Amino acid sequence: MDAAIRRVAGTIVGAPLTSRNRRELMYCGFGGIAGLAGFWITLVLLLSGLTISVSVIGTVVGLVLITTTLRVSRRLGSLHRRLLNRILGRQVEAPPPFQPGTGILNRVDRRLRDRPAWRAVWYALIKLPVSAAQLYAVVLTAFGLADLAYPAIWLLFRNHHGGTLTPLVAVVPVPFGGNIRVGSWLGAFPAALAGAACVVAAAWLARGINAADARLARGLLGPSSMAERVSELERTRALAVDDSAAALRRVERDLHDGAQMRLAALAMNLGMAREKLGDDDQAADSATVRELIDAAHRNAVDALADLRDLARGIHPPVLDNGLASALATLAASSAIPATVSASIGTRPAPAIETIAYFCAAELIANATKHSYANQIKINIHTERAGVLVLEVSDDGIGGADAAQGSGLSGLAQRVSTVDGRIDVSSPAGGPTMVTVELPLRA
Amino acid sequence: MRVVIAEDAALLREGLTRLLEDRGHAICAAVTDGDALLTAVAEHQPDVAVVDIRMPPTHTDEGLRAALALRQRFPGTGVLMFSQYIETSYSAQLLEGGAAGVGYLLKDRVANVAEFAAALQRVAEGGTALDPEVVSQLFRASRQRGGLATLTPRERQVLALMAEGRSNAGIAAELVVSGGAVEKHVASIFAKLGLPQDESDNRRVLAVLRYLGGKPQLQEG
Repeated sequence: MDAAIRRVAGTIVGAPLTSRNRRELMYCGFGGIAGLAGFWITLVLLLSGLTISVSVIGTVVGLVLITTTLRVSRRLGSLHRRLLNRILGRQVEAPPPFQPGTGILNRVDRRLRDRPAWRAVWYALIKLPVSAAQLYAVVLTAFGLADLAYPAIWLLFRNHHGGTLTPLVAVVPVPFGGNIRVGSWLGAFPAALAGAACVVAAAWLARGINAADARLARGLLGPSSMAERVSELERTRALAVDDSAAALRRVERDLHDGAQMRLAALAMNLGMAREKLGDDDQAADSATVRELIDAAHRNAVDALADLRDLARGIHPPVLDNGLASALATLAASSAIPATVSASIGTRPAPAIETIAYFCAAELIANATKHSYANQIKINIHTERAGVLVLEVSDDGIGGADAAQGSGLSGLAQRVSTVDGRIDVSSPAGGPTMVTVELPLRA
Repeated sequence: MRVVIAEDAALLREGLTRLLEDRGHAICAAVTDGDALLTAVAEHQPDVAVVDIRMPPTHTDEGLRAALALRQRFPGTGVLMFSQYIETSYSAQLLEGGAAGVGYLLKDRVANVAEFAAALQRVAEGGTALDPEVVSQLFRASRQRGGLATLTPRERQVLALMAEGRSNAGIAAELVVSGGAVEKHVASIFAKLGLPQDESDNRRVLAVLRYLGGKPQLQEG
């Protein structure tokens, strides 16, 4: 029994000496300052946005301020998540990235409905008392350490004779504490004791408040609640349905304008040729017949080519041999020299392979059309467990923008139907690097 | 015959032009969209227009809309819709103003040059040419109606050809029977289905289509 009590007491008193305490206090410092700054930034932006948008003239400015608040709060949220992860090793998963719409109104609308951003705003506002407690823990530790050092300070700096001694003042920053006046070396020990108590108290305060902060962050900065997940799934399902309907329409259109049309022309040419041949007893106009059959032959060859292209567009047969060889084939037919490096551990699901393939095809086509690049690099790997990463980069002029309603936003839609994500880095002047992340299983 | 062609696929436009010119018809104009078609018809007053249904700019039913406009503004010009698909509702819309000078054929039919040319001729002369596919769709749709079950197989063949717009002589040639035999079949069909006997081929087509459920409203005159 005694041993148990001694162990508990040892743990309590020994807490400040652990390396964990150092990290907790470090987080208190950084997290507290970030929280305090975040609170004021969010509050000022949001309040001015709200008040300005109440007045009729200021609606636009107000909306800009509010959307800015939401953007900033997402950034702040990711800063807090990073601090938690780096310093305390507490993982808080990121919420789904913001999906910009096309067109300014659509984009503003999406921003205002961006639930993860609104929750990050709540976090920033609620965090104020937490930040205060965190900074208090840091202050408490600092003063505690100073007080603890008083006997040593006394010996070093006050241990001389003669003259009057101004008493040292040890500050104990607790609500009902006061200052301890230290007039002698022995008198420094109560101050040291108070200091030790502060350091111990600060250690446990830091642990408690950080645990609360982590819980708050997990609730407000993490991935959305079940209901949000459901609405996200509904949205991406609608995209998937639209996407497949659009794909079918495209196939129909290609058939109508391609193979079907050529086969009709083929039938027409053969029909005319048969007419020219006439009945058995009539002499045939062989030159015209030959010409008509040549034309029919061309129609047949073209129709075959059309059908082959169409079939390849639906499912490239080369994909059956795996993504690596499919991408190699794709790279070989690229107008700009392209190299492929692939390291794929577990083979992704066929649907994922197909999406990755079409992403690569689209990105190569984009680079060919817009980048003026000399070299395209395609890298595909599964280094992170459960994630297929496709990177397509070029040394071109950059300036690709997913929000410009280009092929990139179509890709983003397609990728989001399987909970994948796409990241575009393309500063003006280049280089461009597009990263597509897909789960291995749809 | 003087013909205007509206077809956006160059391959087919040129093929049709050649096919019809080979047979001694004059191609006044070959255009690629509905507006150009209306302009060309206004300018040349042809006997017949061959109209593709899907044309620029939207590639949906421009041809049909142009054809309906043609029917209203230039009743003297026959309209042959020419498409890769048969939509029964399209044929119903086209036939609403009467069956005279109306045709709707699958592009496949051009493989039989002589029949295609004959159908075009029929439309140019104010007759009707409906694709067998239109007719068989209507047959399928109206199977539940009792009347058809009482017809003999031969009478069904004759009914189908009537619905396509063929005259008695045309039906006789197609089935290789005498004109008198066809007349007997036709009389029997009209009696069994309770349709009014009508001498005019076009009115006859409309009566048959209405019976089959194609829904064209008969407008006198």
